[in-house]
Amino acid sequence: MSILQDIKNAVRSRSIHVAYVDVGSCNGCDIEVLACLAPRYDIEQYGIYVHNNPREADVLLVIGSVTPQWVDKLRDIWDKIPEPKVAVAIGNCPISGCVYARRGTLTSPPVEKYIPIAAQVPGCPPRPTEILNAILSVAPLIYKDYEEKQL
Amino acid sequence: MKKSVDVSIPLGPMHPCWKEPVRLKCETAGERVLKTEMELGYMKKGIERIMRGRPWQEVMFLAERVCGICSVIHNMVFIETMEEISDIAVPPRAAYLRVVVNELDRMASHLIANFSYCYTIEHETLAMYLLNTREIVLDNLERITGSRINTAYMIPGGVRFDLLPEDAAAMLADLVKVEEEMKRYVRIFETGPLIALRSKGIGFMSHEEAIRAHTVGPTARASGVEDSDLRLRHPTYRALGFTQITRTEGDNFARNMVRFQEVFQSIDLIRKCIETLPEGPIRGGGLCKAGETSYAGEAPRGELTYTIKTDEYGRVVDIAIRTPSIMNIEACAHTMIKGATSIADVTSTFISSDPCVACNER
Repeated sequence: MSILQDIKNAVRSRSIHVAYVDVGSCNGCDIEVLACLAPRYDIEQYGIYVHNNPREADVLLVIGSVTPQWVDKLRDIWDKIPEPKVAVAIGNCPISGCVYARRGTLTSPPVEKYIPIAAQVPGCPPRPTEILNAILSVAPLIYKDYEEKQL
Repeated sequence: MKKSVDVSIPLGPMHPCWKEPVRLKCETAGERVLKTEMELGYMKKGIERIMRGRPWQEVMFLAERVCGICSVIHNMVFIETMEEISDIAVPPRAAYLRVVVNELDRMASHLIANFSYCYTIEHETLAMYLLNTREIVLDNLERITGSRINTAYMIPGGVRFDLLPEDAAAMLADLVKVEEEMKRYVRIFETGPLIALRSKGIGFMSHEEAIRAHTVGPTARASGVEDSDLRLRHPTYRALGFTQITRTEGDNFARNMVRFQEVFQSIDLIRKCIETLPEGPIRGGGLCKAGETSYAGEAPRGELTYTIKTDEYGRVVDIAIRTPSIMNIEACAHTMIKGATSIADVTSTFISSDPCVACNER
């Protein structure tokens, strides 16, 4: 293992940029992701920054079962994110469709059909601490020794 | 010949300021916005189609998943519509407990709306203060109902859980804390010179325009539309002596101040409820019958109407939901944003009308 890789590992563990995309949820998971910003949970003390720009994101939080409008656009957003990247499904909707996966629905869950999902946080909606925990536990697994794994 | 439109600027569907996907297309001459068009449809899940043909026990949970921010009022209006169809009486204690939970939800919704506005005009300090205060409100909601967001607290003929005396005492203590903090934050908002530069006189909507665009809720009340709060017609709120808050400025500042003032009003209503909470059962029981009716209630964003037709087993045959945000954000696109002198004001004006896209498109 090289020194450069060590430095990269150390830096990346304290610098996780998050973008979130709502592909058709009830809004409940959205505001729980926003609640992570609150000083009570203080997402930034772990070095996580939420600024919703896919071009500089490391982690994409996908919220909601997929509506027809997002079928192609979700893939576009995923392609815009630079490597190394990881997608986390927040809530029941991207996992199974939750209450929307019934007769008459317009949505087409799960999100796994469109982009690769690394972690899932079930719940309707999950608590902010659970979302925080998921981001913190999945990000190091993906980024640790990323360059050496590529060789 | 000089071109009148310089650039067409698209905003969204994925935008740092917006919680939900929606697309705004602004035609501009320099920085001045000439025309705005709104493109909806990114969140259409077909929830009314899912609801059709299902028993009310299932539709009740679907109804509160129309919108996560104001889920309690969706639950409440659906249940009260079913009660009106089936002539089910609500015990007085349950009616008061509904008001308590509904007002807690309204506080949480207004706080996150004002958080979004402060975040959009880059006053991050005040935004974080408001978001932290919202957590205290959600704690109380969780203490009473057992859940932070989707509570499913109301059922035909009553509510699920009673309010224990120790929970009520803890809630009142928390409300004192919230009121003290909110007084400070409102002073920051009212007197901040930079907030005034970004808010006062920006995104103006006149009284006539507000009426012509059928705006509802805090957006209408900020433009001075009298008698536009449906809580004035709700029997429990009438018993509590509810009065409407109206401002006349009609700009971004007024819309946010209306929401701030309604938070204080909600605190007062909850206190009055706890003081005069009648003793008795919390569930009366009853049977859901066949019928068809339309019923409206006041959501945090305005008038919310459910039109339901049921069969004799209590199954929902047909349902139509009319949510408040659709009028507000269309009015926002066609009157408030038009004539904005800077593109930076477009996002803040749009957020000040408290858009809830999940409600709109269902």
